[in-house]
Amino acid sequence: MSSSVAIIDVGRTKFGEHYETNPEKLVEEAFLNASIKPEISRKDLDACKFSTYFLPQTNKIGAPEGFVSQLMEINIPMEASYKPFSSAFSAAYDSIKSGRYNLVLVGGMEKMTDRWYKIRDDLMLLGCPLSYYTGATPLTNHELMLREYIKKYDIHDKELEEFNNALAWMSVVNHKNALKNENAQFREEIFEKEISVDDVLRARGRKPLGRYDFAPVSDGASALLLASEEVAKKYTDKPVYVSGIGSATDFISYQSRNERTGFLSNRLAMEKALKKSGLEREEIKLLEIHDESTMQGMVSLEDLGFAEKGKAWLDINKSCEDYQGFYKINGNKLFVNRKGGLKADGNPLGATGGAQIYEIVKQLRAEAGERQINEKLEHGLVLENEGFGVKSNIIILSVVK
Amino acid sequence: MSSEPIERRVSYNLDKIRGSECPECERNYSTPMDYCVDCGRISFGRMKDTNYFFEKGNLEVCTIVEKPTMRFEKLGSFLHGTVSFGKGIRFPGRVTDMLINNTGIDLSDFEGREVVPRFRKRYKVNRKEIIPTISLAFTFADEYYPHQNYEIRKPKKEYEKPGIVGFGVYTSKFRIKEGRIERSVPFLDEDSITAAVEAGKLALIHSGVDNTKISKVYVGSESNPYAVKPIASKVAQVLDFGKEEVGGLRGVDAVDTEFACKAATSMFKDAAALVSFERNKEPEKTYVMSIGSDNSQAAPRDEPGGELDLFVGYGASAFIFGMDDVIAEMEGYYSITSDTPDFWRRDLQPFPSHGGRFTGEPAYFKHVKKTAEKTMEKLKLEPKDINYFVAHQPNAKFPVKVAKDLGFKQEQYLPGLKVAKFGNTYSGSSPIGLAAVLEIAKPNERILIVSYGSGAGSDGYSLITTTQINDIKNRQKFTVQNQAENEFLEYVDYPTYRKLKCGF
Repeated sequence: MSSSVAIIDVGRTKFGEHYETNPEKLVEEAFLNASIKPEISRKDLDACKFSTYFLPQTNKIGAPEGFVSQLMEINIPMEASYKPFSSAFSAAYDSIKSGRYNLVLVGGMEKMTDRWYKIRDDLMLLGCPLSYYTGATPLTNHELMLREYIKKYDIHDKELEEFNNALAWMSVVNHKNALKNENAQFREEIFEKEISVDDVLRARGRKPLGRYDFAPVSDGASALLLASEEVAKKYTDKPVYVSGIGSATDFISYQSRNERTGFLSNRLAMEKALKKSGLEREEIKLLEIHDESTMQGMVSLEDLGFAEKGKAWLDINKSCEDYQGFYKINGNKLFVNRKGGLKADGNPLGATGGAQIYEIVKQLRAEAGERQINEKLEHGLVLENEGFGVKSNIIILSVVK
Repeated sequence: MSSEPIERRVSYNLDKIRGSECPECERNYSTPMDYCVDCGRISFGRMKDTNYFFEKGNLEVCTIVEKPTMRFEKLGSFLHGTVSFGKGIRFPGRVTDMLINNTGIDLSDFEGREVVPRFRKRYKVNRKEIIPTISLAFTFADEYYPHQNYEIRKPKKEYEKPGIVGFGVYTSKFRIKEGRIERSVPFLDEDSITAAVEAGKLALIHSGVDNTKISKVYVGSESNPYAVKPIASKVAQVLDFGKEEVGGLRGVDAVDTEFACKAATSMFKDAAALVSFERNKEPEKTYVMSIGSDNSQAAPRDEPGGELDLFVGYGASAFIFGMDDVIAEMEGYYSITSDTPDFWRRDLQPFPSHGGRFTGEPAYFKHVKKTAEKTMEKLKLEPKDINYFVAHQPNAKFPVKVAKDLGFKQEQYLPGLKVAKFGNTYSGSSPIGLAAVLEIAKPNERILIVSYGSGAGSDGYSLITTTQINDIKNRQKFTVQNQAENEFLEYVDYPTYRKLKCGF
């Protein structure tokens, strides 16, 4: 059994609409971006693990492996899973840990805009059939959680206004961060002006959450090269180690769960990942959380234990009045979603987790360019969810061992 | 839903909201379970079925859906939320029967309120596909449609003659009012199938009859959305008629009948004959239900056949026949048939055609009058022996004229005249009139009902109320009277009416 597993490098495409490009071309582009610097050729790969959710629906593609094989003319073992990026990542991690492979390409791809009109039906039907059959959209459960939250913690009147503002701020901050992300779906050229709290609130209308609270439908791909420590060190002098990994599952029907103001799966996955890494929660200051909605982003901070239950919004509100690139929660600085979150960076499901890992790797290596955090960071955490809290995958990355 | 097996499983579980209860620890589950997760092996095969369709829920939280998914697009904006049924059972649910305009909405006005499950179409599908249905559609219990307990009661008295033991009438919350005529309008997710189930449910509540003892159900309709596939099988499955066998099979006979507007009344005598035939059946006597349900069809007003659009309504009636605890005994009957093509709808045509003035004298009047006269002649009755006269009601004029021609007075025919409140509900038309009369009738009164179905034929029945009619008077809150004058009725304009009427 090898000692550690490390990321050699990461790559991604711009997120948004890629009408002209096939999915396998997108993931190839992400691979090429990841392989330039370490000078890895496709012939060096032992295996590939791909993730996607919807290629059979959106592009009528059942075996993306064959498309990649034909495109890159390689015949190595490949597996595509109709799952999130961290699921492919986890499979690659296990195969390296077990000594089966030494160098694995993990790639995620999604082309959701190819099925613009039906994609929301697909998302909800796979997310939870019961909710779909009763008319829910992929956004509905986020809003029901918001209603449960304000009911449970008895948030009303002026407090409710502040609560709503806090969620709006999370969206504003996402858009602000995305301005410095050259790959983000929503950058300055899309809008005539910067998104303000008022814009977010206005877009909600009479609904609890609105257009600026939810992640968009996106196309895109991401990729990373995962290897055993020994192999990684041959290609790079800055390997990023996978120090902790944890996963948990919860009931498909949100309504059936006992915990409806947060995600039990997040909490359980966090416990496992922390235990595996041997780190204390306070040692982690850099986070990429899965904010499909501002509400989900906020409760995730509570689920992961960085904020107290029912209180995250209070600290977020305070931090955002004069946003300095971080949230100050429970007195601790937390750098969250510096690439713009799922809201502004984009959310091409199968590739989303890869982009989150991309950001953490870039920040830990001080290669994040314009959006680089000017602080010494050794650990970063990626939270990726599947469905509405149905699954939670947590990966802790470190530049030190 | 393109896959029939998936559709079968979804509708089997969700049309009546099935769950399970562990006999050991009494834990409840929101899906059918083979064993209890807590109790394991000892509970295997012993789990009790639960059914939330007759229960009352609580809308815990809700939100408003403004841009629904593709299949729900036609519904526009609607409320969606979490509904709990006590004992920790929760489902997602859609609030139906609600037209949401563009004004502001305070979600807390709806949260915490009691809701009733309603059997509805699920969403829009291609015209070739199976129509998906679900009961995770809810309306507020403190509005138009109240929650009522369904309590099975032990019969007290056996009768010599078969008769009606209970009934239910269902009309929708929406109305269009033109001149003096109000007509009921289905909501977008309603059709003749959903109305038939609702009426059947109300009849069960009213009669207190054990649903597993219903041995046959007839559903008469001329607006079944399927050319081939019975409404009756859906009714039997949702309302649990007959004993359940393994695999969701039910020991019940179910059949649809068609004869324009007399498809339901025609089966009254068959229902009576069957319960009479089965009166000595072991181990227990059975009951038979006859439902008339229509989302009465009419072409738009400016098209040929559009005259009908002024009168068509939406609704259903269900009558349960039995030998025990009868509230109205069947004294006698007489039917007439002739091949008179006054009104018809060819296969694949969305709307019926009719013979204009020809539908009056040679069709409606000729048949109804003769049938009434022959029924009275057979039973040696005069109009003065009859307390209430109910005729088929295609409009407000015809039933009044025929009643006068037969020698009936206002106090005899007005109580059963309901067309001005609900419109012509086709198969449900004269039965709704009968139900309205039964609601006010005293013991030992005679009712003459004469239906009419184009094509053409009439059924006449003479019914005599029993003393037990008083016993169940208060059992039904959702009476014909209540539906006619409900404070929560919602009136819509003509374009909205057409949109609602044509459904998904």
